[in-house]
Amino acid sequence: MATDKTNLQLVVNGILNENPIFRLVLSMCPAVGISTTVMNGFMLGIAVLFVQVCSSCTIALFKNVIHPRIRIPTYTLTIATWVTVIDMVLAAYLPEAYAKMGIFIKLIVAFAIITMRLEMFASKESVNASFWDGIGMGLGFMLGMMALGFVRELLGMGTLLGYDVLGFKPMLFFVLPLAGFFCVGLMMAFFNYIEIVYKRAKRA
Amino acid sequence: MKDILTIIFRLTVACLLAGLVMGAVFIATNKAKKHNIHLNEQKVILSLLGYSAKNPAPESVAMHEVYRYLVGEGEALAMGYLLPLRDGSFSFVTIDLAGGFVAQNPVALAAEKAAEAEARTPAIAAALGADKPLRYADQTIVVTDGGKRTAYLLPGRFAGFKTFIGAMLAIDPNFSILGLEIMEHEEDPGLGAEIDQGYFKNQFKGKPLETVKKLEVVKTPLPEEYLRALEAEKSGLGAAEVASIQEQYQDNDIYALTGATISSRAVTNGVKAMVKKFAYRLAILDRVLVEQHIATPF
Repeated sequence: MATDKTNLQLVVNGILNENPIFRLVLSMCPAVGISTTVMNGFMLGIAVLFVQVCSSCTIALFKNVIHPRIRIPTYTLTIATWVTVIDMVLAAYLPEAYAKMGIFIKLIVAFAIITMRLEMFASKESVNASFWDGIGMGLGFMLGMMALGFVRELLGMGTLLGYDVLGFKPMLFFVLPLAGFFCVGLMMAFFNYIEIVYKRAKRA
Repeated sequence: MKDILTIIFRLTVACLLAGLVMGAVFIATNKAKKHNIHLNEQKVILSLLGYSAKNPAPESVAMHEVYRYLVGEGEALAMGYLLPLRDGSFSFVTIDLAGGFVAQNPVALAAEKAAEAEARTPAIAAALGADKPLRYADQTIVVTDGGKRTAYLLPGRFAGFKTFIGAMLAIDPNFSILGLEIMEHEEDPGLGAEIDQGYFKNQFKGKPLETVKKLEVVKTPLPEEYLRALEAEKSGLGAAEVASIQEQYQDNDIYALTGATISSRAVTNGVKAMVKKFAYRLAILDRVLVEQHIATPF
């Protein structure tokens, strides 16, 4: 059963209809833990994008030889391999980027979103479709993290991308992990509201 | 039964493949990674001493590495120091825990091989003769300028919030802290990870031994002017101003990071222990060096 969506639709699907953070509500622990600043969100997003695309392609390529009863261990193995490879390559050839991203990359092994995409999509679809789905999911995660980071950085520290824009710290509470859940919940409600308004306007 | 066999077979193949990929990448990247770490270390050392690419260290500045080992002397434990000598050779000096001189053994080791643990440890073991248990403890870099000691560099590791924090500490001959750099850590991003930010690590700068000995962590907010001085690069404060503010706060305790008191305390206690132990050991080592007329270049 191949997907009938075009590549662009797959990418948009990951960003809007099935946004990993606001729609699928997956990988919440790292999302609320890391999304304290826009830059953190971006870094983790980039790392997830890489691992998601690489793992999706690998699984799509080998889907016929993976025994159905051990598919989850195989997915975990694939993800762990790619995380380790990316970790080592970055450390060796891009030490500046690694100094900033290194700590995030190791977290990705435990991300539910990647395993879920492998199970739901890559294990059934072609390599090409899986590649674009991986891109969409990665971008969706990255944008979601950056949106969260934007709100939390602005309200928690009064800065954006490290630059002081407000000049004071409105609510330090937003930097703490607990506030991440409030942010996710409120933003989810906000996006759902927009969707409802949009659908009503369309119908009318 | 047949199912189990295929499962075992496929999982084994998958694991082997994954292992093969990771192993190949490791072999391909390990050299470059080690090189990067080494380069970074050199850069950190120079910046801690106040030198940079624009302001390189003069020719008269030399660095001498001293490696400390734990040696089993019969039932008791002793400290062993691998010291470079003035004529370019190496000597391994053993001192018992009470500070008494035990032995001095010449070590056959090429100068450029001393930095490699694989070459260094066997050479020392061979010099000691009998199979005494030998364990590497740490290293110290003694910085001299024209033969006079100007600083000590202490690479160290101590327990952080979750795992070890690697740090490099520079102290002057009076054991005042010249600077602290966090080399590696896995603290929480946004909270404990802030230990490598200027406004935390620069708080240690300039603290004299007497202050360091009783250094604590306080949970009061960081004063605004002190923050500006600690982040001089960002706030653009002049060097003279920074120095005067630093001096005003130099006897204060360390201001904890918001939401990361444990990480702050871990670094503070780690630095405190490193300085205290080093000052104690160096006094003993220096006394032995004088007593035994051991000619080191520092």
